[in-house]
Amino acid sequence: MKRLLVNTSIGAALVTFLLLPLQGCTNLDEVPISDITKGNFFHNEAEVLAALAGVYAQLRGTLDDYYNVSEISTDEMVVPTRGQDWYDNGQWLETHRQTWTANSVFSLAFGNGIWNTGYGGIARANVFIEALQNVTVPNKASIVAEARGLRAFYYYILMDAFGGVPIVTTTDIVKNPRNTRREVFDFIESELIAARADLPATRPSSDNGRFTQGAADAILANMYLNAGVFTKDAGISAGAYNSCSGVQVSGGVDACAAAIASADAILNSGVYQLADTFQQNFRADNYSSPENIFAVKFVDQAGLGLNFVMRALHYSQFNPSPWNGFATLAEAYNTFDAADRRRQVILIGQQYNVLTGDSAFDRAGNPLVFTDTIHDITQATEGEGPRVYKWPASPAHVAQDNGNDFAWFRLGEIYLIKAEALNEQSAGSAAALVVLNTLRARDFNPPQPLAVVDRSVILNERLFELIGEGKRRQDLIRFGTYTTRADDPSMAGGKQPSADYYVLLPIPQTQLDANPQLVQNSGY
Amino acid sequence: MKPVRLFLSALIALWWVAQLGAQAQTGAVAGQVTDSLTQRPLVGVEVSIPGVARKAVTDQDGRFSLAGVPVGPQIVQTALIGYGQQRKAVDVSAGGVATVDFTLRPQAALLEAVVVTGYGTQRREAITGSVSTIEATTARPAVTTNVDQIIQGRAAGVQITTNSGEPGTGVQVLIRGGSSISASNSPLYVVDGVPINNVPTEPDAMGIGGAPPPPRNPLNVIDPSDVASITVLKDAASAAIYGSRAANGVILIETRRGRSAGGPTIEYDGYAATASPARRLDVLNGSEYDQFVRAQVTAGNLDPIHLTKLGGQNTDWERAVTRSAVTHGHNLAFTGGTEDTRYRASMNYLNQEGVAISNGLERIQGRLSATHQDLDGRLRLGLNVTTSRVNNRYITFEQTGGFEGGVFQNVAIFNPTQPITVTDSLGTHFYESGSTSVRNPVALADQLINLGQTTRTLANASADFDLATGLTARVNVGLDHSGGQRQEYYPNASPVGVALGGGLARQADLENSTRTLQTTLAYNRPLGEGNTLDLLGGYEYTKNQSNNVTAQGTGFFTDAFTFNNLNSAQTRETFSSAVEDRIVSFFSRANIGLKDRFFVTGVLRDDGSSKFAEGHKWALFPALSGSWRLSQEAFMANGPFSDLRLRVGWGLTGNPGVPSYRSLLLLQGSTGATYPWGDTPHGGVIPYTCANPDLKWEQSSQIDAAVDFSLLGSRLSGSVEYYNKHTKDLLLDVSVSQPATCSTRLENVGKLENHGLELSLDAVAMSRPGMIWRAGLVFSADRGKVVSLGPNSFITSGGVSGQGQSNQVSERIMPGQPLGTFFGPVFSGWDAQGHQLFKCAASTPGCVNGTTTTPAAADYAIIGNANPDFTLGVHSDVTWGRFDISVLVRASVGQDVFNNTALVYSTKGNALQDKNFLRPALTDPTGIHEPAIYSSRWIESASFVRLQNITVGYDLNLPVLTRTARSARVYVSADNLLLLTGYSGLDPEVHADAGLATRGLDYLSYPRPRTVTGGLRLTF
Repeated sequence: MKRLLVNTSIGAALVTFLLLPLQGCTNLDEVPISDITKGNFFHNEAEVLAALAGVYAQLRGTLDDYYNVSEISTDEMVVPTRGQDWYDNGQWLETHRQTWTANSVFSLAFGNGIWNTGYGGIARANVFIEALQNVTVPNKASIVAEARGLRAFYYYILMDAFGGVPIVTTTDIVKNPRNTRREVFDFIESELIAARADLPATRPSSDNGRFTQGAADAILANMYLNAGVFTKDAGISAGAYNSCSGVQVSGGVDACAAAIASADAILNSGVYQLADTFQQNFRADNYSSPENIFAVKFVDQAGLGLNFVMRALHYSQFNPSPWNGFATLAEAYNTFDAADRRRQVILIGQQYNVLTGDSAFDRAGNPLVFTDTIHDITQATEGEGPRVYKWPASPAHVAQDNGNDFAWFRLGEIYLIKAEALNEQSAGSAAALVVLNTLRARDFNPPQPLAVVDRSVILNERLFELIGEGKRRQDLIRFGTYTTRADDPSMAGGKQPSADYYVLLPIPQTQLDANPQLVQNSGY
Repeated sequence: MKPVRLFLSALIALWWVAQLGAQAQTGAVAGQVTDSLTQRPLVGVEVSIPGVARKAVTDQDGRFSLAGVPVGPQIVQTALIGYGQQRKAVDVSAGGVATVDFTLRPQAALLEAVVVTGYGTQRREAITGSVSTIEATTARPAVTTNVDQIIQGRAAGVQITTNSGEPGTGVQVLIRGGSSISASNSPLYVVDGVPINNVPTEPDAMGIGGAPPPPRNPLNVIDPSDVASITVLKDAASAAIYGSRAANGVILIETRRGRSAGGPTIEYDGYAATASPARRLDVLNGSEYDQFVRAQVTAGNLDPIHLTKLGGQNTDWERAVTRSAVTHGHNLAFTGGTEDTRYRASMNYLNQEGVAISNGLERIQGRLSATHQDLDGRLRLGLNVTTSRVNNRYITFEQTGGFEGGVFQNVAIFNPTQPITVTDSLGTHFYESGSTSVRNPVALADQLINLGQTTRTLANASADFDLATGLTARVNVGLDHSGGQRQEYYPNASPVGVALGGGLARQADLENSTRTLQTTLAYNRPLGEGNTLDLLGGYEYTKNQSNNVTAQGTGFFTDAFTFNNLNSAQTRETFSSAVEDRIVSFFSRANIGLKDRFFVTGVLRDDGSSKFAEGHKWALFPALSGSWRLSQEAFMANGPFSDLRLRVGWGLTGNPGVPSYRSLLLLQGSTGATYPWGDTPHGGVIPYTCANPDLKWEQSSQIDAAVDFSLLGSRLSGSVEYYNKHTKDLLLDVSVSQPATCSTRLENVGKLENHGLELSLDAVAMSRPGMIWRAGLVFSADRGKVVSLGPNSFITSGGVSGQGQSNQVSERIMPGQPLGTFFGPVFSGWDAQGHQLFKCAASTPGCVNGTTTTPAAADYAIIGNANPDFTLGVHSDVTWGRFDISVLVRASVGQDVFNNTALVYSTKGNALQDKNFLRPALTDPTGIHEPAIYSSRWIESASFVRLQNITVGYDLNLPVLTRTARSARVYVSADNLLLLTGYSGLDPEVHADAGLATRGLDYLSYPRPRTVTGGLRLTF
């Protein structure tokens, strides 16, 4: 009997033990340990500024696919197949020749990258702006204006590449149809005008790189100049100049006049002036250039630097070993005047290690010589093609990370915008000539002022001033030569004229899948 | 209220009722067990009476006795591995001793009578699901570092591919073709009843010149010699008891326990093995390369400067980085105890050299298992503790990617006319070409330090208590804790270290821990007339935690510190993170047997996981299966079948193989979020995941139909099975409609379907005094296809590795096709200039006469299928007197492999950069300036037959010789002795993680060795 009692008590204890956890341990709430959720952040200024830095950080991404496509699909750059290097599923040839489709590697890699980079920045800004609604911080209006300005820039990139895209300002994941390009243009314009009111004209040097009134004006000036393209879903002229003249923008103003007004707002602000030398805009210390208006900031730190040296240089010219890919075309190089100092950003002839100054050799051991011509873009050699080496290596670089800033907008372009808009208001305008010659003055000794101005002079001047700065696709489309031009036949395998619809990139198939409301650009 | 809780409450009520009638009179049963062939007594036979908790084990004279048996007619049954089960009826009188003797026959087909299933065991004939069992002692290849290798070729429907020939390498296990695209396809491993969190225990290495080799197999913690049995639950009906984690099948591992019979036993098992690469890369040797370059210079295709890069040597780089590797292993175990308390303790040591230099693995492991029973056997306690230390020494080799490359890439391309070392004014040092795109492979292996260590403890403690006859409560507590480190140093002496910023040192720590609590209540009672009822209800709680810290420094003024003095680095970086997740489950199972003829099993599991979205955390996983033992029917009594069963089952299982927190929007500080204002980086925060409030389980439903049979007096037995598996709500990383804080996120979209046929046969081909020949065969054929990908038209996968292959993918996942479908240009030959030509449509720019040199996306087509038509495993074991010979042959037929190695290294153009290449390029018409272009040209048939293992053993008659040892066996074994295949690469069995659900990619894999082992097994 005693045994029974013992057994029963042990059993009862076990059963109790068994039942205990059944009531308790069913809680499955997730509390991330080393991550932050929206709910437990944005408490104070430091946290708000940290999130704002995240919105800026996406700017670095604009220098990948968007930059590459803006250059390589034009006469400014080509990435030839060099033996076993750079075939890469044909993506570079496809980009340069404009033979892409919505399903090809171009779209799945580069097109998708542009889409996701632009919208990634927009999503960060949306999360930020929404979270800030219920937060009290000093200078809140100005901080929100910064985020709106950045968001407008990310929309600007999407609108430039794809045309009309869905406008979303909330944080929910939605499947909206595309807005028209005009609607996107108007949205960006109104956002920038609204943000401008709350932004400072200038910032202390410790905040160099943050969005200012000048940044809003520069994007507006560029958009107004391109209004003949940017406001149209259809009717862009692929074969003739698309003028700002006759396009109405905010307040019923003609776009050319608006471009001049925005350019003048910058020129007359007293904040900016041309740098003493052209090179000062690109060197590692270019943060000090008085010409920068809206720049992507870089420092000499792992993951935070500019890596253009890798794209431009041969394997043996830098450490770590660069990629030896991107070259410019002979026809672009040869358009430059030999006396133009701006040509010095292009490497040609015998090459040297940019760090040591020693002679450079190709992988076979021959002296490395960059030729002006590329005989065949499917079978180029290591040394073929001049290189755009505009942002020289930083003396304090950390591996491939160089501290040179990249200005999406600098004063040089504002001069060119003003000149072009003046010329559209009045062809051959003397005022335009004055503006162009003001800019040219620092690049020639003795001076070589232009005597006449017309559209082709302006396009060439833009090439000289802005080569490698990611503007060429936009310019060629505005000038009506982007799709119609062909590469010089001396370079085998180059671009042939492509269909008119290539002025817009196709919406990548992955994005059409993700959002069935999207309708593909016509032609694709 | 959860149905399971209801069920548990009912069981508890039942216990109180049963307790009232528990006091009955008892008697005893005793007897002897002998071997039918030898007529000698059998030691260690387990004798039991269904429904009576206490079991007996025969002593050295084969005798047993069981007390406390309820009065009345009882069934007494025996169990001994390798022998058939026998059951006899006895009549027990109060206080009397009923005598019953058994004569057991060595069993024909090596099928154990009792099979470990989830949360318990079952008699084989009562099993209604699809279960494969492997008895570990009969299936041991020569050098095994993990238990998966034991299964290879021995279980139908289980496809095991070791990643490479690297010691301790990971394995890809696909049970019935796998059922996921993005989430894991690995089965659930359950060791001694405790589910294992099968994640890497060592932090990843840095990738230099390509993706780092994958971490080694976490199951390396368990020494195969400590494994008693492995059970594979293949269908949903049997696996559903593990619910949410069972969609890819379940592998149950039972470790060896102590035995009291025959007194204390000491076992020693030792072996030594030598391994060398089984096949070689076919690259040019020094003189061939020399001749080629001279000829090309003469022909004007190569610049004369390349003559200066001819070093006049003849270095076989492959031979230089490989070796005859020696492995030795020692296992010492002792076991013993009393009838109530038993123990087994083992220690083992393994030292395995890789066939590549500077590469290997060392493991020291100790294990203790103890069981104790008390209160007349009503309380049973168990404890298992395994602790192991694994020291891995890695070399840098590339599994994917690669520009400068690791050891094997440079074996393929390093100039064979150059020496390994040179002696000059700096002394003797490794030769480096000075070119940045090649590295001396011997120097790479020798100079780069990459160490990994894991200390892991697996422990579980269990208590079973019989609340009443047939009603048992069980508590099982499990702990799995591992601490892993990775220590790397890339010295300044190597160009790799220089390029990384003047030497790079890195130390990473990863700590994983899993705690599991299981409580179950089981009711198990024969109801008379062959009817049985077996009920189980339980609760399980699992918590996984993981955290890691990484510290890294670059810029060292000396290589002397290696990774031990990070504070002397010029720049330092640190990273850390932590995650956790919890799983809570309620489960129940009912097994019903009717008249020993009909068996029905029903399973219901309710699983909750913290990883899923609010409102989707819980899911119910039911299963129902049944079998009919036709052979028990009167109309079959005179047929040829000693056993014939029909089985049908259906069940739902899940796959939670997703990272934690994926349903939430998370913000994180990182370099990617940091941005400089002024010129000072400002630490930033960015949202880096997308919330998915609908995230839920991936769910598979599977039906299974099978026939199990035994013929010719059980000399031939086998199973034929058909299954059909549908997986829906696939966890797929899909593009998210923008704007979103991520470009892709996990969503439940898409469907997969698999169906297949499995056949397994076991036979006693010959049985006569002094000789038994057993043979077995497993065959499986699986056909899978993607039914839907949700909104996606396709998903690209299988990234191509090597120079000039950025954004090139080899596979496309698309509806209507299986996973592992190769997609690309169709090769059609060469033009006169040596350009490769591909088929094209007339609309493709540059398409002339149906061919082009630059294929467009529209011209891509399906060019191969990486899935085999069928796989086959055949094994044969002959015991002849004191000799035994066993052979295992595996075959896989019909699959294609993409020979990525040949694509990028069969290129004469390599000579333009003074790089070597594969010999077939010498004679192909490809021009020297032609790039490597992925196409159907590189898709090869990879069918193979592999002689996996031959073992010859001899039993020494040591009792006669020494009068101390009880038995001794010496053996010689050879692994991977012969490979028959038309595949031109190193090995047709390949695995690379190059995207989602990739199969059949071969890129510079670590060579698979051929191994010869000699061993000795002693028992005292």
